[in-house]
Amino acid sequence: MDTVFGVAYEGGVVLATDQTNARSILMYQKNLDKITQLSSHSAMGVSGPNSDLVNFTEYISKNLALYELSNDGLKLSTHAQANFARGELARALRKGPYQVNILLGGYDESTKTGGSLYFLDYLASLQKVNYGCQGYASNFCLSIMDREWREGMTEEEAVSTVENCINELHERFLISQNNFIIKVVDKDGVKVVKYGADPADN
Amino acid sequence: MGDSAYSFSLTTFSRTGKLLQIEYALNAVANGRTSLGICAADGVVIATDKKLSSTLVDTDQVCKVEKITKGSGFVYSGVGPDYRVLVRKARKSSQAYYRQYMEDKPVSQLVKTTAGVMQEYTQSGGVRPFGVSLLVAGVDGDGTPRLYQVDPSGAYFGWKATAIGKNYVNAKNFLEKRYQDDMELEDAIHTALLTLREGFEGEMTNKNIEVGVVSKSDGEFRLLSPEQIQDYLDEAN
Repeated sequence: MDTVFGVAYEGGVVLATDQTNARSILMYQKNLDKITQLSSHSAMGVSGPNSDLVNFTEYISKNLALYELSNDGLKLSTHAQANFARGELARALRKGPYQVNILLGGYDESTKTGGSLYFLDYLASLQKVNYGCQGYASNFCLSIMDREWREGMTEEEAVSTVENCINELHERFLISQNNFIIKVVDKDGVKVVKYGADPADN
Repeated sequence: MGDSAYSFSLTTFSRTGKLLQIEYALNAVANGRTSLGICAADGVVIATDKKLSSTLVDTDQVCKVEKITKGSGFVYSGVGPDYRVLVRKARKSSQAYYRQYMEDKPVSQLVKTTAGVMQEYTQSGGVRPFGVSLLVAGVDGDGTPRLYQVDPSGAYFGWKATAIGKNYVNAKNFLEKRYQDDMELEDAIHTALLTLREGFEGEMTNKNIEVGVVSKSDGEFRLLSPEQIQDYLDEAN
């Protein structure tokens, strides 16, 4: 039921998720932040049960932190982080799978466009993509991204595409997802662009 | 390692606080054929004396400089068979890293892992330390050329230039005089060959030495062919 969006542009990646935390017919929370920061220049938008979301993201992000501590501050590239995460999904798959579908976005100086986006699903598939959706949202929004994405997009254009996708869901998707949180990963790190409801509001 | 009958370590402290097995291993290294390495601004070169017990030995079949990953290589002084175990373990650990991250294992981590293995053999049941010191050459994760030495104790050091094995004292003095921080790879290879020749018994040819080079430009560790070595030797004359 969760929605995750990702759009890579020239110089970074935009990630967005809905902010609903619900199970069965009950909605627990409307201000959940489902985009967790992995390292200084990478983050992942995650859909799935809250337990697996938290368990998996904490496991990956702390292992990445351990790597940096053990190796004199050396950072893993987004490509390496995504493959590491995929490997962990694959290892757990035939024991006790993490039921998470992920869009992982990161910024690397060394890559041509700077930003790179990876699609991972709960069966441990991994694919580098220019844009992507997780959840029912794909049915509504991939066509919008197909039409609007182009090489050399700017941050404004990428965020605008994501907003067009959000509007489409508000128009046509049966399940009401009023609040979305949008983050950007670029050379300055991970920052919040906007949110529907403040995740810090308790 | 560590059969129930040998679950105690054979490397134990002497009264004076030394680990004699490690000292003896270092002696084995000091008796081995000379190896050296030089870290230039744009690459690293490692080389060794391949002189063997008899002229009848087929030197083509002897491999002392070994590639571990695309961008790193080892050379050693000491006990050859012990070296081959370390090369095998290092290659396997590098492939395991690649399997996890789909990227090449950085040299600094390769050194730490290999040094860790060597240390284990000084503190595990029923085994003896490796009788080799390694010189590890590679271009690191951040693009910097690096040269490391790893000792039987598991201690490792980063060097600008160094030599191990027989005659290492003279070789190191020679290197100290010739080394410059802004040295280029070509000069480094030249200097490495001159240093090797200083302590060489008999005539140094392209068949009785081995040279490995990794350049910052393409990040690939390569062994120089006998023809390439001959070109450098001709220059040096």
